[in-house]
Amino acid sequence: MASKASRWADDGEDAALEAQRKKEKEEKKRLKAEKARKLEAEKQAREAAAEAAEAEAASQQQDTDSANGPPSKRRKVSPERATSNGAANSSRLLRFEGGTFTKSRSVENYDKLNDIEEGAYGWVSRARELSTGKVVALKRLKIDPKDRGGLPVTGLREIQILKDCDHRNIVKLREVVVGDDTSKIENIFLVLEFLEHDLKSILEDMPQPFLASEVKTLLLQLASGLSYLHDSYILHRDLKTSNLLLSNRGVLKIADFGMARYVSIPPPPKLTQLVVTLWYRAPELLLGSSRYTSAIDMWSLGCVFGELLTREPLLQGKNEVDELAKIFELCGIPTEESWPGFRRLPNARGLRLPPSAGGGAAAGSIIRAKFPLLTLAGVSLLSSLLALDPERRPTAKEVLDHEYFRQDPKPKSEAMFPTFPSKAGQERTRRRETPNAPGRGEKLADLGQIDFSGIFAGREMEERGGGFSLRMV
Amino acid sequence: MSHMTNPLATPDQLYQRRALGSLPIELQDAIFFSTQCLTQAAGILLQLPQSVTAQANVILARYLLVEPIMAYEFSELSAASLFLVAKMGPSPRAPRDISNVYAYLLSSSSSFFRPPSSPPPVNDPSAYYRSDTSYQAFHTRVLAIEARIFYALGFDTHVSLPHPIAITYLQALDFLNVRKEKIAKRTLEYLNTALLSPQMLYCTSQPNALAVAAIYNAAKDVGAKMPECEWWEVFDVDREELGFLVVGMRSVEGWAKKMREDLPKMAQGMIKRRDVEEELARMGAATALGGEEDAEAEMARRMDQRMEEMETS
Repeated sequence: MASKASRWADDGEDAALEAQRKKEKEEKKRLKAEKARKLEAEKQAREAAAEAAEAEAASQQQDTDSANGPPSKRRKVSPERATSNGAANSSRLLRFEGGTFTKSRSVENYDKLNDIEEGAYGWVSRARELSTGKVVALKRLKIDPKDRGGLPVTGLREIQILKDCDHRNIVKLREVVVGDDTSKIENIFLVLEFLEHDLKSILEDMPQPFLASEVKTLLLQLASGLSYLHDSYILHRDLKTSNLLLSNRGVLKIADFGMARYVSIPPPPKLTQLVVTLWYRAPELLLGSSRYTSAIDMWSLGCVFGELLTREPLLQGKNEVDELAKIFELCGIPTEESWPGFRRLPNARGLRLPPSAGGGAAAGSIIRAKFPLLTLAGVSLLSSLLALDPERRPTAKEVLDHEYFRQDPKPKSEAMFPTFPSKAGQERTRRRETPNAPGRGEKLADLGQIDFSGIFAGREMEERGGGFSLRMV
Repeated sequence: MSHMTNPLATPDQLYQRRALGSLPIELQDAIFFSTQCLTQAAGILLQLPQSVTAQANVILARYLLVEPIMAYEFSELSAASLFLVAKMGPSPRAPRDISNVYAYLLSSSSSFFRPPSSPPPVNDPSAYYRSDTSYQAFHTRVLAIEARIFYALGFDTHVSLPHPIAITYLQALDFLNVRKEKIAKRTLEYLNTALLSPQMLYCTSQPNALAVAAIYNAAKDVGAKMPECEWWEVFDVDREELGFLVVGMRSVEGWAKKMREDLPKMAQGMIKRRDVEEELARMGAATALGGEEDAEAEMARRMDQRMEEMETS
């Protein structure tokens, strides 16, 4: 067993152990003599001594193993260390646990119960783990065998990011399993924790909107999950109500990381603009920015906020141009003042805007008029999230500290959250009415020369009429 | 914490490696080394950042601790690991480019893995021309291996490299009597060499330990003054692990030299599975590969090996 591998295999350790035992005995004897002097520190000292002995033993082991030998420095220091045991207290080393790696298990460890939904990137079903009886959600990766790019990058990124995340408001990936035939890996399933609802179907079915206190709880949880993601350099890039899950205990979790990716700060120069479902897409994306930041998620958060209040998606554009028109209608027309530099974005060059009447000042008031039941602080939060200029949107952390959440009514405790009949738990699949996030490799919408002055022509006339001036109050 | 940690091999996986490949361990080590070198060479020709190539090295090392080394052609294992890591990151590479690069590196026109003393090879484009059918077949095999690697690693491709950590540590240490560039360069050289080590250091130690060991070695080499105290403990590395890694990193060069002397086949370009089978025959072992041998004999041979191991340990 003189091979290289033996150094970290058993025999090396055995020899080291034996040497260590001998050392330990010596150390103990010596320590006994010192016992009177160091009664209190004795236990720690012994541990530290054992550590030192171990290191010594190891270095001796390596001495015999290798012609190079360890640097002599280590041996020189070690006796000093044994005598200075009193101070050994400080050398508690941090252990980094990264886990291990091993083959994926088979999907046969799970018993499928019912389908939950079929999305753009695969289907999801409810299943039970045979050995534990735990109910989970199985999400199957859509794999196109004709795709010569191999396994889909989006799915692989989703796996990687979910594996790295550990937060109560982010759905947990328990493992990844594969079909039984492992000679060809064609069926890949993500085993996710199961939550009874998604916000979208709850909103569609509930007779009354959420109470203000409930909206606050949901929003706080969403912002807390988002703050974790952004702190970990992850952009979600597809936040929308159908991707937010809710448990029967009122816990919200962010799901579906098919669009997510790691980014650096400052952001890398060429991010794809083909992200985020149209209705939740930030104006800088629509205008073709490829150097966007976490502010795009904050915009989506604003859209979700609005949707929680009204049960209706806030900005339901029919296409990119219509979406922009709806955004400008709600948030005002961008000016050099309200959004410095927006003219330099690729799709903004051909943009013809009406002379801004009111601009940023009017924006807040339109939002105010649209949500008459929202408090002043609520309006200020919502309109800051829906700021056209990404720089002016608050970060997720700032949202968590916002005045809105400190005002009455206070956020409702999660335990007090109402329960809803679960669609996912029943034998019914969710319907999807929101459009899907754009697919990879789709053609970028070239907004080209768009004349927005025409779209707003009507509104300009409106402004002159009585209806619009009422809104201005 | 995930950018500080890596999943590590279990003692079982390290021990099983010898049984897994049903190859003599020296041969496995040699194959491992040359495959990792091939990945590095391909990474350079594909103009990939070293961070991508290094991750591919680590992924492949992990894979080889889970699956037998002879299941696929070595060069294609290397290609698949490079392909999949590049694809997940910001600099994907087209399969066609990868195919061309590997075809070249394996051809007689490339000097890859030939002794520096041998005359420079004659450039013969026809030697590394890949026809469309041969490219399609290569591509299909690489995709199959890609999926296999993901499966073998439980789809966990997280790799945290020690390089950026080492730079941060160096800044903290501030070796005043040497130029920063000099010691940083030497440190990175140690870290990159460690990727090739058949001891699979990246699968046995966390990046902080690798970084500290590389700094230690580099400081010794360039004659930098190290702190008198046990400074590695500041970076949460204990003396034992440091000692192991310091020796491990230093031994790669000598080991590689000796390996090439012992296995002359290694000096004739990238080793192929066919070469290994021939080598095995030469070494007098029965061909135990690719299902050509019947299962019974295979089983008997494995049991013999087990017995041998049990006796020696």
